[in-house]
Amino acid sequence: SSGINAEYGVLEDEETREKVPVLADEEPKETQHLFYDGESVTGKVNIKLKQEGKKLEHQGIRIEFLGLIEIYYDRGNHYEFVKLDKDLARPGDLSESCSFPFEFLKVVKQYESYSGRNVRLRYFLKVTICRRLVDIIHEKGLVVHQLSSYPETNSPLKMEVGIEDCLHIEFEYNRSKYHLNDVIVGKIYFILVRIKIKHMELSIIKRETTGSGPNTYNENEQISRFEIMDGAPVRGESIPIRLFLSAYDLTPTMKDVNKKFSVRYYLNLVLVDEEDRRYFKQQEITLWRKSPTSLKPENRGVAALENMRT
Amino acid sequence: RINLRMDVDQSRYLDAAKDAVKREAFNMQRSLDKGLLMDGLRHATEMLNELRTSILTPKNYYELYMMVTMELTHLNMYMSAEFIKENKIADLYELVQHAGNILPRLYLLITVGVVYIRSEECSRKDILQDLVEMCRGVQHPLRGLFLRNFLLTSTRDVLPDFDTKTAEEGSIDDSINFILLNFSEMNKLWVRMQHQGHTRDRSKREQERLELKLLVGTNLERLSRLEGVTVERYEKQILPAVLKQLVNCKDSIAQEYLMDCIIQVFPDEFHLRTLENTFLDTCCQPQSQVNVRNIIISIIGRLSNFAQADPANIPNEIKLFDIFSIKVTQIIQSRSEMPSEDIIALQSALMKLALNVYPTEVGYVNQVLQNTLIIFQNEESRANGCSGELSKLLRVPIDHYQDILIVLHLSAYPKLLRFLELCTRKELCMYIAEHIIETDTLIYSHDQVDQLLTLVECLVADCAEKPVSNIEDPDDFDCQQALVGRLVHQMTSQVPDQQFLILNTCKKHLVVGGNRRIRFTLPSLIFKAVSLCQTYHEVHEEDDKWEKKVTKILQYITSLLSALIKAEYWELSLRLYLQAALVCDAMGVSNAEAMGYEFISHAFAIYEEEVCDSKAQLMAISLIIATFEKTTNFCEENHEPLRSQCFRASSKLLKKPDQCRAVSLCAHLYWSGKNKEEGGNQLQNSTKVLECLKKAVRISNQCMEPTVQVQLFIELLNKYVYFLGNGCEEVSESVLSQLVGKIKEDLPGLESGDITRQIVNHFGTTLGFLEHHHELLF
Repeated sequence: SSGINAEYGVLEDEETREKVPVLADEEPKETQHLFYDGESVTGKVNIKLKQEGKKLEHQGIRIEFLGLIEIYYDRGNHYEFVKLDKDLARPGDLSESCSFPFEFLKVVKQYESYSGRNVRLRYFLKVTICRRLVDIIHEKGLVVHQLSSYPETNSPLKMEVGIEDCLHIEFEYNRSKYHLNDVIVGKIYFILVRIKIKHMELSIIKRETTGSGPNTYNENEQISRFEIMDGAPVRGESIPIRLFLSAYDLTPTMKDVNKKFSVRYYLNLVLVDEEDRRYFKQQEITLWRKSPTSLKPENRGVAALENMRT
Repeated sequence: RINLRMDVDQSRYLDAAKDAVKREAFNMQRSLDKGLLMDGLRHATEMLNELRTSILTPKNYYELYMMVTMELTHLNMYMSAEFIKENKIADLYELVQHAGNILPRLYLLITVGVVYIRSEECSRKDILQDLVEMCRGVQHPLRGLFLRNFLLTSTRDVLPDFDTKTAEEGSIDDSINFILLNFSEMNKLWVRMQHQGHTRDRSKREQERLELKLLVGTNLERLSRLEGVTVERYEKQILPAVLKQLVNCKDSIAQEYLMDCIIQVFPDEFHLRTLENTFLDTCCQPQSQVNVRNIIISIIGRLSNFAQADPANIPNEIKLFDIFSIKVTQIIQSRSEMPSEDIIALQSALMKLALNVYPTEVGYVNQVLQNTLIIFQNEESRANGCSGELSKLLRVPIDHYQDILIVLHLSAYPKLLRFLELCTRKELCMYIAEHIIETDTLIYSHDQVDQLLTLVECLVADCAEKPVSNIEDPDDFDCQQALVGRLVHQMTSQVPDQQFLILNTCKKHLVVGGNRRIRFTLPSLIFKAVSLCQTYHEVHEEDDKWEKKVTKILQYITSLLSALIKAEYWELSLRLYLQAALVCDAMGVSNAEAMGYEFISHAFAIYEEEVCDSKAQLMAISLIIATFEKTTNFCEENHEPLRSQCFRASSKLLKKPDQCRAVSLCAHLYWSGKNKEEGGNQLQNSTKVLECLKKAVRISNQCMEPTVQVQLFIELLNKYVYFLGNGCEEVSESVLSQLVGKIKEDLPGLESGDITRQIVNHFGTTLGFLEHHHELLF
């Protein structure tokens, strides 16, 4: 509109840095560059004038690195949890296209990018060319993944549940904390069966919590529906479970992010009887993101086999 | 109508499912051709979803299953071609596990798993174990059975066998464990079908189960095909595991079918090795409700054939018969509810084993009978209602040995026979008797005779028990007794003294048979005795005591005859007395003569006191005269009174024609009769002959019936001609012409008719004879 043709925020490793989709189920997929906590964000802002020779007067040029939490039902209320800025140029005139290098060294990015039903957490670079009337603003989004290391304690989830004189089962999941490409291995042991079970499934439920106190909103979403048993078992049967998490669009578990929201995951074991009554038991699991270098996808199948045997 | 509608629904549903499979298979193939794996898998999943149905009957489900699994081979081929070379099969193994529904997921997993094994990227054992474990997720019996069948058939060619070497390749033990696990899971599913659904559908459910049995049995068949399965592995790993599963499942259909399956699919050597300590012990377990009958019979049959093929197949230390005999007894003891027909069926199987495998061991056969006997003795109620089967069992040794003498050696045989119901017992005894007669078996010692007659006791004497059915048919009874009479003739020894013992033994059994029986049985004995006398007479030069022995036999005959007299069988006794008299006469010694005289006088006594009917009287006196005429060794002192007695008796007959005929017969006594003094020469007393004939003519003159009279004249004419021809020259021509003239005179006055025609003919031929021989005669 202003007749300026400007290109912003060219990152230093633009070509080599991995790009990931911002929203998994959006077509066509928008992808953004991926950053980790503590990584420097460096590059340069290229400003290219549309009409060479015509001066661009400005009150200063600035670049900001921003981390925001936006709650959809609370429009206009954005919580900035990170804000870094750099002046690129003093007020003056630009008479030709020029580029301004910038550098945010070892930026703390303490949260993972997230886009949910009610809340979004996003990072972006914002270039502002200050003008007397309307500033010229350009933004470039980034994706941040929060890596964790292998949890120190990771005990299996084991529990006996039942309805008196009706159904009694014991289930076991091999861990309580899974990384996003992990495999849930477990088994269901039937101690007492007096109902006619039709099938059994294991689903993953995602619970997004926003707000606090009386204004807490919970949003439950069933991520998967995975049948693990067909037909009616009898006492003493043991049914294996193997669920590959990589098949689903999951995020790490997020607890009380900046006191604004949480994302938690639950395994829901559901038994359906012949009258379509549902018996279920939910167990929270913690999801975490593992450093991608240590993942060797081609071994996952075998890894799963090994898990079975232990 | 409901069934019909269900059938229609079934076929409609099946058609729809098959259409869906065809469509998705086509789409899958097209996607794969384009290299679109994900699309291909999606269609494969859709296709496999058709197998999730609960509506189809096992038969129809099988049809659908066959169709689907055939299509899966295309997927398998595609994966083998595309993925092995790219080393991506492990990814694929994970990828197919993302499927949301378990049934398609597992079918795909198995399909990929087999390719994975072939790629040799991962331990075969691990994959096999993973597959067989993951299949636990399908607990629906029908779907689970077919899924596991798919697992078994898909892995058919990739199971490690004896020739694998590395740990990666796996070992034969891995295969065994794999199949055993699959087997026990399938069996559990199969058994579970029994307990699902409404009780009123039970028979339908059992029918459906039987249709599915092959799926379970295939596991055992597959095990038997592994070359690495040695007899040791069979004994230590396979059989115990299979039997444990069988016992624990507590399901008789499964137990019966799978036991039989074991018998059929594994080699005989394996059975031999495990027979005693494993296999039969399991059958003995009283808590299992298996119908062991068929199982035991099946294994006995199997091993019996094996032994028959080559006796060397059975090592000496394995006493096949003893093993089976002991176990069968244990099984029967432990199952008080076992029906008697099952007990006997088991014993029959044992007996066939003994007969076929140990043809020389008669003791084994006896042992079978003895075991059966003990069972019935301990619990008599078990013998009820099984006469038919028991009788079949008892016929087996007869038919097999074709020799009753061997059967007589079986000490338990007669005791067991007594457990038959009376009429069945009689039938069997008759069978034995007929068998002896047909095969012309000679019972040649008195011990055997004793055994045999004890065996067929129910035929030779009345039984204390009453037959269950109504009164016996008299014709049947006569038939039976006639058979016993014939049986006596088979009791023959070549040694006369032995034969005498036989006769005595026989007598002991037969005289107690009662009046109804002795009519048939004693005559046979008398004839046997008579023939023994003749035997002694023939060998009298070798045996200096023969006279005494003959006397004894004659006394024996006397006692038998007095039994018949007591029973008032007059005519029969009379004939037998005469027969005995003839034999005495033939002996030619003095005490025999006295006995002979006695016999004939007895015959006279019967004639005089007991024969009342005039026809019978004529017959009797004719018989006496004829018999007496044959004797040669009576001295005149005895001969004369007997002659006179004959004459007297003849002339005392009531009817004139009878008198006439009898008297004319007496003429023979004076002509061709012989006494001791004449030393075998005929008496040829012409005067007496003519006296007799004259008296006969006189009597016939008194006959009032013209036809009969003429008949008598012709007969007398014949007599005269006879004696004339035999040298009695005192017969004058005038007597003849007188008679001829009288006949010619009376003949035209006779009423015409059949009888007259016969008379005319008779006279004609007589005259013809006279004319022809006139020269000779005079």
